[in-house]
Order: sequence, then structure tokens, then C-alpha cells
Amino acid sequence: MVYALSTCGFCKRALAFLDANQFTYKYLYVDLIPIDVKNTIKQELKERFKENVAFPFVVIDDKKYLVGFIEADWKLTLQV
Amino acid sequence: MANYKTIEQTTVFTQMVANKQGWALNPDKAFYDTLVEGLTKNYNRYGYFLCPCRDTEGSREADRPALCPCIWSKPDIAEYGHCYCALYLSKEFVTAGKTPKPIPDRRFENA
Repeated sequence: MVYALSTCGFCKRALAFLDANQFTYKYLYVDLIPIDVKNTIKQELKERFKENVAFPFVVIDDKKYLVGFIEADWKLTLQV
Repeated sequence: MANYKTIEQTTVFTQMVANKQGWALNPDKAFYDTLVEGLTKNYNRYGYFLCPCRDTEGSREADRPALCPCIWSKPDIAEYGHCYCALYLSKEFVTAGKTPKPIPDRRFENA
């Protein structure tokens, strides 16, 4: 699951990276949903992963996470 | 409509900021265009140029530090060569042919 901002260049790159590597994924532009829903999602992510939530924020197989599109980290974690 | 910005107006805004600060704009046109579109979108829905790579805290007052150019842009450009969203780059960074990469968000430094 990818949490992203529809306005962010690095988020756009991250989604393009997943597409280019043929990953199947769900994504949510959190700036396009009600702010109270967004804040609930952010709070849950922060508590669950003990991490400040910046974008893109990706939860992989409900276990691991990546924050920010650092391509080398994504390649390593996603084994690309 | 006073409280509305076009892409062209936002482009001029970013050029003015860069000129005033002695910065360069991101030379990657596709990336730059995404950010200008994002800034424009933020202005037209929130009423101010919220950083396109940060989400709103819900009010102008709470978002004030993240209004473009954000309060962290100067230290980020000094340390990393570009601001958080990579809209503004130091001229040296561009001359060296470097490519912006995601950097830590200073907003969380005291979180």
C-alpha cells in the first residue's frame, strides 16, 4: 500500500518506479481525502511503525515499510 | 478571481523566489512541472503555496513553516544542495550535474 501526495514529485517517481518494475499495488493520495481520515491513517502508521510519516510511505506485505523514495533502498527492499 | 493562481503565475512565483535567493530551479522539466502543478493545486485549494511534498496540518497557521519557500529551504540547500521537494537547488549543485535525492524532513527534527 502506497500513501502518497498527488502534488509531490518524489511520490510520482515512486509510483513510476513500481509501474516500471511491474509491481501490483494499491495507492492512496492522502491529500485528496478528508483531513480527519488522513490524520487517523497517519497516526496509525506512526504508532505501528514508530516512524514519522512523510510521503511516499509504503507498507509492504503488511509488515515492512519504506518512507521517502530513496531508490537504492526500494531496490534492496523490493529485491529489484 | 483573486484567490486563484494559474500554472504561469506559479511559475513566475518560483522564478522570483529563485532569483531573490540566488538559487536555481530544478532543471528536470518534468519534475519541475509536477512541483509547479502541485504548488498551484495547493494554492487553489488551501489559499497558500504549501510545499507540494508536505501535507497540510489543517490551517494556514499550522502550515506556515511549510509555505514555499519553507523555513527549512535555506539549511537544506546549504547542506544537501536542494530543498526538501527539490524545487530549488543551489547553483553549485546544478553546475556539478548532481541529481536531487530525497532528504530528511526537518519538520520532524523536534517531533
